[in-house]
Amino acid sequence: MGTVNASTVGGADAVAAALALGRTAIAPVRAFPLNGCRSHLGAEVEMSAVSALLNRDTDRRLSRICQLTVAACRLAALDSKITGGPHLGIVVGSEFGDLRSSEEFVAAFLRRGPAGLSPLIFPNTVMNAMAAAAAIALDARAASVTINQATIAGDLAVTRAAALVAGGYASTMIAGGVDELSAVLYRSLADLGALSPMQGGGTEGCRPYAPDHNGPVLGEGASFLVLEELGAAKARGATIHAEVKCGVWGNIPTAPHKAQPFRVDLHSPVRRFLEDLTPAHFGRCYGSGNGDPGVDDWEIALLHRDLPEASRRPGIRPPLSLAPQFGQHGGLGALRAAAAALDAARGMGPVLVHGIARGGCRIALLIELPR
Amino acid sequence: MTRIVVSGLGVVSPYGVGVKTFWEGIAAGTCAIRPITLIETEGFRSRIAAEVPAPAVAGLDLSRRRSRADRVALAAAREAVADAHLTAQDRSVAALLVAAVGGGMLEGEAWYWEEARTGRRSPRIKALRSILPASHAETVGHCLGLGGPKETIIMACASGAASIALGADLIREGVVPLAVVGGVDVLTRICFMGFNALKLLDAEPCRPFDRDRRGMSIGEAAAFMVLEDAQRCRARGGPMYGEYLGAGMTTDAHHITAPHPVGDGMIRAMNLALDAAGVPASEIGYVNAHGTGTPQNDRVEALALSCVLGEGSVPVSSTKSMVGHTMAAAGTLEAIATVLALQHSLIPPTANLRNLDPEVPFDCVPEVARPASVEVALSNSFGFGGQNVSLVFRKG
Repeated sequence: MGTVNASTVGGADAVAAALALGRTAIAPVRAFPLNGCRSHLGAEVEMSAVSALLNRDTDRRLSRICQLTVAACRLAALDSKITGGPHLGIVVGSEFGDLRSSEEFVAAFLRRGPAGLSPLIFPNTVMNAMAAAAAIALDARAASVTINQATIAGDLAVTRAAALVAGGYASTMIAGGVDELSAVLYRSLADLGALSPMQGGGTEGCRPYAPDHNGPVLGEGASFLVLEELGAAKARGATIHAEVKCGVWGNIPTAPHKAQPFRVDLHSPVRRFLEDLTPAHFGRCYGSGNGDPGVDDWEIALLHRDLPEASRRPGIRPPLSLAPQFGQHGGLGALRAAAAALDAARGMGPVLVHGIARGGCRIALLIELPR
Repeated sequence: MTRIVVSGLGVVSPYGVGVKTFWEGIAAGTCAIRPITLIETEGFRSRIAAEVPAPAVAGLDLSRRRSRADRVALAAAREAVADAHLTAQDRSVAALLVAAVGGGMLEGEAWYWEEARTGRRSPRIKALRSILPASHAETVGHCLGLGGPKETIIMACASGAASIALGADLIREGVVPLAVVGGVDVLTRICFMGFNALKLLDAEPCRPFDRDRRGMSIGEAAAFMVLEDAQRCRARGGPMYGEYLGAGMTTDAHHITAPHPVGDGMIRAMNLALDAAGVPASEIGYVNAHGTGTPQNDRVEALALSCVLGEGSVPVSSTKSMVGHTMAAAGTLEAIATVLALQHSLIPPTANLRNLDPEVPFDCVPEVARPASVEVALSNSFGFGGQNVSLVFRKG
């Protein structure tokens, strides 16, 4: 695994140390002014820590979010000692993509007309630019897939990558997520009432599942896991942290951008999977709760319905949330999967990763030690 | 192995609404590339595109509060689901994979333009709720009651083909019995300005594989198909337009915008697709090419096709010559064109092709559609970031 986030930069050891420390990286945003904005908090990445991971010749022209992606993917590749080639693929999950480049591209046009348009910036406005940059950096020539998804982009990328390995598209996948903070994104979400304090009420902060939760706090960063076919990983003597025992995702048809805790998924693969689990099947659960009251409440309701016995245990009701530590961003889901893998490796039994997003996309991953 | 059929089709294209309208347009070789009406184009070299006609969009029975892209996506997906005769029960277990790039950026740009030019807050900010590509899947999934796995796939111009490949995998793996897959993109200022900045647009309607080609033309469309376990489809008496045989997906890992100089990734994608389909190259009777009309793409694609299929062995045409490059929708739209070509035994032409490039050693079906009974066909889609997806279909 490899990560570049507001708390730490590094491989599996760095992720484990940051999780053990549990210190929040959320603080007032410094990268851009927020005068007159109702929100002020974020979890920012210190780019000086990333620079050392970048190649001065090949990476200096990359956009910032591509640099985050390439750095984290390099760390993951180094951590797992994998090599590039036609066997290696990538799945990148992102909530927002490179909106900073989109704004830069458009702003230049508004200032100078067609002459201001940069052919170098334009490709970054397409959301697969991060996967493309990482594929070039690592010589990953199997399938590279980018998934756009709110709240659970990283978890979904890991789950889709596991399916691609199982489906024979690649024997090895680097999978995770990335997002970055930018002024236009932050201000717009705050204006739309999508960040803490939502509707302007209460103290700003990230308090998942708490009675006074009032919205998410944005973070940024890139986190990736290396997934391999088990036999191939054993054959090359890889350090195996854990096995993705099962990964499923589904949809609860819900109005776009809405969280509707009374909505349930009657036929989804996630529900079928969870209904077969008993409390003995797993030790704890990482959830996607990020302080957004609608999403937090929906997740609790779904887990209570699908895991009635297990959901009474601490660590499951409410689930564990990493959002207060790293802030909400596309890489957070990969950090949830990483935390589950490290827990499983420490003998804490199989660990469930669960997520629900506004709009109804739902996911469940069961991660355990390989038998 | 589970056999997968195409049991429903839906299209909103530069010809208008409906699969029938689309097929009639490409079968007639009608070029729908015209002067742009949606956005300002003054000062740009190329000022044309294949827009979905305004009356067609206005005639959609859908709220105008939705973004243009959400509306055309929903219309096309609705047609596909109705065409497949899916019940509410069928839909509740169906996966949904939507390919997208631009999202609701057209309306998001209008908000940004207004705030930047006036310096004041604009009420258009609500448009930002639908700006991200995932908005289409949320809209379609909600309105059609699709309860299986839902994904928004972004692989640039190969996205639409990838949504088919990834949706089919969910059926093969037994996760779902059917999937609604497709893609959508409408014209945006960023896309139009970006391709102009890259000097990849022809000032005239694009001329794929022509010696004098000067670039591509942008198009807009939404295209969806229903993929279904063949046994299930047969049991419920659903339509079968064709059979999906397999796909190959690769990455060049070479350059962010340029294809690999000798088409390494394209060749691997086509070979992987043939392997997955279990058919030899000699069985391919038609190729719906990526065929953008840019000098570099068409040359490298022809080289890759020669490598995989042998020079001159098979008719190759580009439907982008008629409907433009519809970005994330292109892969699905062209897969639908391929399936319809198999069904109607008619190969759609490459419009505007007058002087075949000597570096393209294929019959590119110039100007006029050609009757041909083809059993198996290949559809290619390539994109920014070196994304390559090839799909193989058999006549239904």
